[in-house]
Amino acid sequence: MISVEDRLEIEAFLFKEARLADESRYSEWEALVDDDMHYWVPLRESQDPDSDQVSLLNDNRTRLATRIRQLNTGVRHAQLPPSRMRRSIANIEIEELGADEYAVGANVVLYEFRRQATKELEVWPARVEYKLRRKDGELKMFRKHIFLLNSEGSVRGLSFII
Amino acid sequence: MIKQTDTSKSPRYDELITDARVHSSLYTDEKVFEDELNRIFRMGWVFICHDSEIPTAGDFVRRNVGREPVFAIRSRDDEISVIVNRCAHRGNIICQEDKGNRKALVCQYHGWAYDTKGALVDVPYPGGFKGDFSCHGLERLPLVDSYQGFVFASFNENAPPLLDHLGRATELIDRAVEMSPVGRIRLSGGWVQHQLNCNWKMLPENDTDGYHVNFVHPSFAQAIRSNYDEAVLDDEESLKSLAKDWGNGHTELFFSPSYTRPLEWFGCAEDRHPAYTKAMLDAYGEQKGGRILRDGPPHAVIFPNLFLGEMNIVRFEPVAPGVCLHVHTPMYLEGVEDDVNRRILRQSEGALGPTAFLLADDCVIAERAQSALQGKGGWLDLSRGAEREVVEDDGVISSHLTDETPNRGFWRHYRRIMQPGSPTSDVGAVA
Ligand code: FES
Ligand SMILES: [Fe+2]
Repeated sequence: MISVEDRLEIEAFLFKEARLADESRYSEWEALVDDDMHYWVPLRESQDPDSDQVSLLNDNRTRLATRIRQLNTGVRHAQLPPSRMRRSIANIEIEELGADEYAVGANVVLYEFRRQATKELEVWPARVEYKLRRKDGELKMFRKHIFLLNSEGSVRGLSFII
Repeated sequence: MIKQTDTSKSPRYDELITDARVHSSLYTDEKVFEDELNRIFRMGWVFICHDSEIPTAGDFVRRNVGREPVFAIRSRDDEISVIVNRCAHRGNIICQEDKGNRKALVCQYHGWAYDTKGALVDVPYPGGFKGDFSCHGLERLPLVDSYQGFVFASFNENAPPLLDHLGRATELIDRAVEMSPVGRIRLSGGWVQHQLNCNWKMLPENDTDGYHVNFVHPSFAQAIRSNYDEAVLDDEESLKSLAKDWGNGHTELFFSPSYTRPLEWFGCAEDRHPAYTKAMLDAYGEQKGGRILRDGPPHAVIFPNLFLGEMNIVRFEPVAPGVCLHVHTPMYLEGVEDDVNRRILRQSEGALGPTAFLLADDCVIAERAQSALQGKGGWLDLSRGAEREVVEDDGVISSHLTDETPNRGFWRHYRRIMQPGSPTSDVGAVA
């Protein structure tokens, strides 16, 4: 069992991470990420990230930095203007992995208003699995795996931070 | 024969399309869309799958031909059939999964059983069945043929042979598979279905449009150094890549003239994959092997629904006049070490699909265009570079990378099949 204090700290981290992503504050969001980050949206419900199966997104830290750099150019049409977004995180379960490391699972629903083109409201339901560690007294995220419910169906453009 | 279900009158396609312009209703009109489903996706050849997706007997993959649900399945004699995914009894779906393996095809509704070629072999409670088994098979597409493992099919038994449809564009497919030292590709990575709310024709048009790159992809150019810097992003005088019309609606952006060293197209140093380089030189000889390693893969559309997207294979699917799918998978090579295919996979994820550094931007631009074409609409200009095109020895029309030569080639063929017998429909066409 993790302590109530740990749980509150982890939840606060997740809510902040969600808010920064919602508000397209790319560099502030990136500051939450550790050097060995794996940011992943697989195609299938059960998929090995190292297999030959294609993913919707499969970023190591370097590629994630490129993604953020592209968003920060200000000329990324797909997010010009950025989608207006709000997401809710529920059913948070936390497991302590060892010294100051945690695995977190949650259900997330993201609502996205696609104002850069079609002006539709898109809904992105997902299972999200995070890994966090405490480093120099602060939590950092080193894994975010997003299992979209419709990943094997047709998927709309996903150029924001999910 | 194909049942003619048209109720309203078709527009005059030869009036909506000239070599200099096309009318926006071609992207928005329901009747145009219905005509396309009939005349292009039922009467013509459509790319279905690659045979490496269904390597063993009983393997199948589900696909759509236009809006017709079908599946491709391999039989024990190695024949590939393309079969309408609809039970001959009361129309239930036969294969629900996207892919799988079946020894026999049994309908889940009342249990009619078919063999892997679609012939009816068993009916439960046969006492009440007075029909003739041979008249109650699944509907098979009458024409199925393949080239270099790429399987195409047609609902039209009178369609000209596949090789006539491909014409000289067989060379484009050859160039794709010759990226492998054994001349074989493998589509085993799974397909990502990216939905765009735009007309399907914007996909082939944009995928071989060399004019938009500086404007749609500046964020890519600023964030990433890549082989595209020289191939598509230079100023007008320095660009060496070419735009090509291969005839029959097949089009290409030819990047190879921009590449000066081996594997530049692969975004790595030329000594990065020594085993691959050696295997290619051994397989094709110093001259041809060296040329393939320098030129890289094709970036070309095979009309109407196949895109040889460098080291990706893409299918275009029309869903509605304003909705389509861009469906991609990495083009893995046989006969190479894993790190080559690993690089192909990572590049595929970077370039194509909903989250990609490139396609996500194209997607938004296409969707904006679709909303601008609503209503009465207007004319779209396609005249750029018409006066500086050259016809090469093989008949392929070639022009500056930024010229609308591929668009004109696409629409010329489109007009010819949408308005058969049109007196102007062959003007300027190659093949
Ligand atoms: S619908 Fe297939 S057996 Fe009846
Ligand atoms: Fe593009």
